[in-house]
Amino acid sequence: MNAIEIKQLQRIFKTHTGVIKRTAREVRAVEDVSLEIQEGELFGLLGPNGAGKTTTVKMLATLLIPSAGSASVKGFDVVKQADEVRRRIGFIFGGERGLYWRLTGIDNLRYFASLYGIDPDVSKKRIPYLLEMVGLKGRGDEFVGGYSRGMKQRLHVARTLLHDPDVLFLDEPTIGLDPVGARDFRQVILDLQSEKKSILLTTHYMFEADALCDRIAVIDHGRIIALDTPGGLKQHVADLSVVEVETFGASEAIIGGLRALPFVDALSVEETEKHQLLLVQTKRGAEAVPDILAALDGQRLGRVIVREPTLEDAYIRLVGGAV
Amino acid sequence: MNARLLLKYWRTILVVAEMTIRQQLMDGFIIFTVLFQPIIIALLALWMLKGKGPEYAIFVVVGSGLTGLWSSLLFISGNSINAERWSGTLESLVALPTPFEVIVFGKNLANVIQSLSSMVLGYFVAAFLFGYDLTISQPLYFALSIFISIFAFISFGLIIAPVFVMNPGVRHWQNAMEFPVYLLCGFLFPIALLPGWTTPISYLLPPYWAAVALHGTTTPGTPPNEIFFAWGMMFVFSVIDLLIASRLFKLMLYKARADATLGME
Repeated sequence: MNAIEIKQLQRIFKTHTGVIKRTAREVRAVEDVSLEIQEGELFGLLGPNGAGKTTTVKMLATLLIPSAGSASVKGFDVVKQADEVRRRIGFIFGGERGLYWRLTGIDNLRYFASLYGIDPDVSKKRIPYLLEMVGLKGRGDEFVGGYSRGMKQRLHVARTLLHDPDVLFLDEPTIGLDPVGARDFRQVILDLQSEKKSILLTTHYMFEADALCDRIAVIDHGRIIALDTPGGLKQHVADLSVVEVETFGASEAIIGGLRALPFVDALSVEETEKHQLLLVQTKRGAEAVPDILAALDGQRLGRVIVREPTLEDAYIRLVGGAV
Repeated sequence: MNARLLLKYWRTILVVAEMTIRQQLMDGFIIFTVLFQPIIIALLALWMLKGKGPEYAIFVVVGSGLTGLWSSLLFISGNSINAERWSGTLESLVALPTPFEVIVFGKNLANVIQSLSSMVLGYFVAAFLFGYDLTISQPLYFALSIFISIFAFISFGLIIAPVFVMNPGVRHWQNAMEFPVYLLCGFLFPIALLPGWTTPISYLLPPYWAAVALHGTTTPGTPPNEIFFAWGMMFVFSVIDLLIASRLFKLMLYKARADATLGME
């Protein structure tokens, strides 16, 4: 039996615009998603903002009702058998909210343990175990309001594991964590996988997905546009090289002109306060560099390097450079 | 529902109530609503009725406690679900095997218990500050009335919370709903002083019957039948409230999952 099965899942949100003349509008957050996640698999769901990742996870976690299609977790339908699903799942949504800041870490866990119907004798042993597991040993008596973002995220993990769920939904769990906190958190995810938990992970960090996931689905505009192992996805760009060009203040028109060049397969821009990093995907490799530099003539440039493609490059190609 | 499940839910209700009280003790608005506001009302009423005798004083003590109960029900219990949404915990609570109404029951229990403490404080204010010799004429019936009133108030609160969630516009009337109920339910003076046409409205409000029972048991000479009748009315209203609340919670949660309003995106 698969841990999760999704068939032609769809979710439409209805919104209204206008104050005097109200106009109804439909937003198709999830258009058509079908996939299966095996027992014990760590499955990644990647996609740009608004692609439908969180909506899909919320439908699986019984927090949203699908507009069409069906989904089941451990064989239980997420709409008709929501209570059965809830006994078997745990979820974490990225960010600091979702905990009681005016309670201590231990009281938060004691509270949720009671709500999960865990016997008090069992929770007395399980809470210290979980606090130690997530690295909060000795900090459980402090108020959550005083925790760092990373500590709150760890407490989320402990909360979600209270009832020892078989299936975990981790929606951008490392967002906002500092590099050390994010690295430690990824280790927690690997530890959970070693306990044979089935995990659905959404993330914006490609290296994270590459390092953790057994398989990855790329979702865009509410549809799965690719589904493979990280290695398999990288094959989508095996014929490409990536030219990274550091620029300072290149205009939209200049970048647009570069993107329009016939040898450019995809182009994405990473903006920082000081500079831009242009990631040009091309089949011509180093030979393309003179033409790229010619297109950027007159611009202030920094380093230029040519490298092998990564999962992120495969992702950029799949979603059309829209990042 | 079997006894084991009931026991499990009761244990959950107690933990929810404990955690709710722990959090509320750090919230100035709640401390004011459930403790200081009733004390201020008691002080003013005791001052106005100074010299009228201890039977008026005990009426005021009980009545000011009831004002605290109603205010906490209206503002704190009424907003309890929205408060969870604002703090981002609503999604976690909904995706639990424990029925959501059990959680809200525990929260309402916490609010009611805290509000009752204002009645105790009012008692000490009247006894020590104003020097009244306060006696409860029927202590056993008073204790039973408190117990039944708690249940009636909690049950009524279970209707208010989902109504406030499903109809956000109703919340704009919260302030306007506070004082009329003080008056219509006879918390601080008998409803006989109000125009006759308001009496049927009073009869439809569960807090009115709590006031009848609690005032009755503290007033010498109240016939037991009057108290029993108030208990019966509270019981009937509680059953009706619980039945309505059960439907409302199912409807509210389904609607929230369909309309995507559990979170605060």
